Amino acid sequence: MSSTSDSGLSRRQALRLLGGSALAVPLVLAGCGDDSGSGPSASSTQPVELSFFWWGGQARADLTDKALALYTQKHPNVTFKKTWQGNQGYFDKLATLTAGGDAPDIFQIDDNYLTEYASRSVTLDLTPYQKSGKLDTSKFPESLWKYGLVDGKLAGLSFGENTQGLVFNKTLLQSHSLPEPKTGQSWEDHIAWAANVTQVTGTPGTMDPSGSYQAFWVWLRQRGKELYNGKQLGFDESDVTGWFELWKGARDRKATPTADVIHEGNATDITKQLVATGKAGTSWVWVNQMPELKKATKNELGVVAFPGDTKGQWARASMYFSVYRGSKSKDVAVDVINFLANDAAAGAILGTERGLPSNLDIRASVANSTTDQAMKQSISVENDLGKLFGQPPAVPLKGHSKVRTELVKAAENCQFGRATPAASAAAFVTACKAAISA
Amino acid sequence: MTLTRTSPVAASQPEAATRRGKPKRREATAGYVFLTPWLLGLFGITAIPMLISLYLSFTNYDILTPLSEVKWIGLANYRNMFTADPSYWHAVLVTLKFALIATPLKLAAALGVALLLNRERRGTGLFRALFYLPSLLGGSVALAIVWANIFNRAGAFNAVLAIFGIPGRGWATSPEWALETLMVLGIWQFGAPMVIFLAGLKQVPTELYEAAAVDGAGPIRQFFKITLPMLSPVIFFNLVLETIHGFQGFTAAFVVSNGTGGPVDSTLMYTLYLYIRGFGNYEMGYASAMAWVFLIAVGLITVVLFATGRFWVHYSDEDER
Repeated sequence: MSSTSDSGLSRRQALRLLGGSALAVPLVLAGCGDDSGSGPSASSTQPVELSFFWWGGQARADLTDKALALYTQKHPNVTFKKTWQGNQGYFDKLATLTAGGDAPDIFQIDDNYLTEYASRSVTLDLTPYQKSGKLDTSKFPESLWKYGLVDGKLAGLSFGENTQGLVFNKTLLQSHSLPEPKTGQSWEDHIAWAANVTQVTGTPGTMDPSGSYQAFWVWLRQRGKELYNGKQLGFDESDVTGWFELWKGARDRKATPTADVIHEGNATDITKQLVATGKAGTSWVWVNQMPELKKATKNELGVVAFPGDTKGQWARASMYFSVYRGSKSKDVAVDVINFLANDAAAGAILGTERGLPSNLDIRASVANSTTDQAMKQSISVENDLGKLFGQPPAVPLKGHSKVRTELVKAAENCQFGRATPAASAAAFVTACKAAISA
Repeated sequence: MTLTRTSPVAASQPEAATRRGKPKRREATAGYVFLTPWLLGLFGITAIPMLISLYLSFTNYDILTPLSEVKWIGLANYRNMFTADPSYWHAVLVTLKFALIATPLKLAAALGVALLLNRERRGTGLFRALFYLPSLLGGSVALAIVWANIFNRAGAFNAVLAIFGIPGRGWATSPEWALETLMVLGIWQFGAPMVIFLAGLKQVPTELYEAAAVDGAGPIRQFFKITLPMLSPVIFFNLVLETIHGFQGFTAAFVVSNGTGGPVDSTLMYTLYLYIRGFGNYEMGYASAMAWVFLIAVGLITVVLFATGRFWVHYSDEDER
């Protein structure tokens, strides 16, 4: 699997092995959630070691190492125990560490899991720090830091801004003198465009996003619905049926690949995205995944917004930094994430690797100084789109990860022709209700 | 697995009992000292966590909430599993299908190849090693990844089919064939039971075959009247182990389906579903309940196998009593 810098992997593997054999054995003997005291303050000189855990690749590790070293240089008493790994298995390990009362002081998290952790009080409420100015969000777009609120508490510091992006294969289109997709074109236009691409190039024009919750969500918002509304689902069966039928129509027109190829593209692994493997003309991703997609293919890539009204999209936090509520050095941990988000030098080091910097001043200076083409592209797209965004929704509910996998399953049931859109939609809604009520 | 484990102390006890008090006690102490690593493992890694998971199966434990705040919910997990979770029954069916088809085929392949390799010819040693190789690699993640690539649309398997003009498809990525792809992977790892069969075949006295040949029995009759009965204890042993093994299949399904059990739940093996509920959805109480039902079910199946064994397993030493 992938690299970690300590021996934690073997424990995770051991647990997975146990979970995978007849014995689901959570090795949990110690409780957690120690709330007493917040430890040394950021300005003291007492030695502090903070554990820091994130997912990502080698590039992210190098940049994070450098930024943290800068912090240690300014605060020699603070050192870091860094652990990182690929996205797959990251949340297994985070959960296991949390269960053992041994969660990292600072960890990276995304909106798929933020509510899971915040609603169980694993994350420290950052609101008091924000109020006292120790955590500065004054340079953040308001909607961006607010996307870290769960039940009125600031559960994570939005680290990087991001939005949905439709990535297309520029090389393929140019070699056949085909038009590029445009921001603002309707879903029907997009499908017609894709059908034409298939006809001319022989490569299916677009990935079928019916199993993609990002695409479904944007489409819902354009129709005045939401994925979640309060603690309920924000859509009903007829919406889902409509969504599945839209893409059934696209399949019938050969705008999308065959079901088994769509299944490959449904993998969470970014390098399996069909635009990267050359099996479709477009993929539905997050804009900040562009540089990584670019690495997986020789082709030129372009990116536009998802079809329909751009008000359906929002400034999504590409990830957050959260502080463990049981941390022994909470104040220092908060100071570290504040430093990473707001210090000009740290911002220059981190660049846009985690998404557009949340701090608008840093974002501007990074945009001016970067030389990476893919990064430049994603910054300019994001900045252009930023003017057209709608209001952000609330962070997804507990049970969201189940909703995501159920959507893939329901969509694939239609794609493989095993169920009608209506039947599949009904099963999906039932499963979602069970998932978010659990 | 735990069912077949016997304590190594048991065998040495009668001997120790004949000695006098003091040395006996000293010997017992020494015995326990040597056993300590094993006992620590048994209690620390197996028995105590198992009991905790039994407790958790009656709770709403979700990993992230401290154990002290866990709520006792009685049989709710079990009730949901049996009455309100269609995916659960789907996983049961997938697992049964996998175990009931793949296990007999794997044993048949193992026995067949063992028979071929039983005769001493030039190079049999090499072939034995080669056939055993997949078993060594079998549980590995790397092999499952290779497998997924061989059997996807652009994979090697379709390239071979194309030579014969047969149109290919995405085998591991279509709901009709994904589980079968995993079965083939499972069957291909027949090396371990094959080696045991080979050892069993060597134990069959050659006089029996000579006598049968004198009486006019051909090779097929010899196989059914001599080889199979004489080999039945070994077949039984392999059957029990491989059945349990088949039910526990996880790695290949996890890797080939990217941890989802897809496409459309076609590879949703029981243990994979358990993992998804426990670690994907953080419902460890529910996952623990699933684990206990699984343990009991596999235990029952093993008991049934043992019960039927009385009718078809032939132990040669029984005749001598």
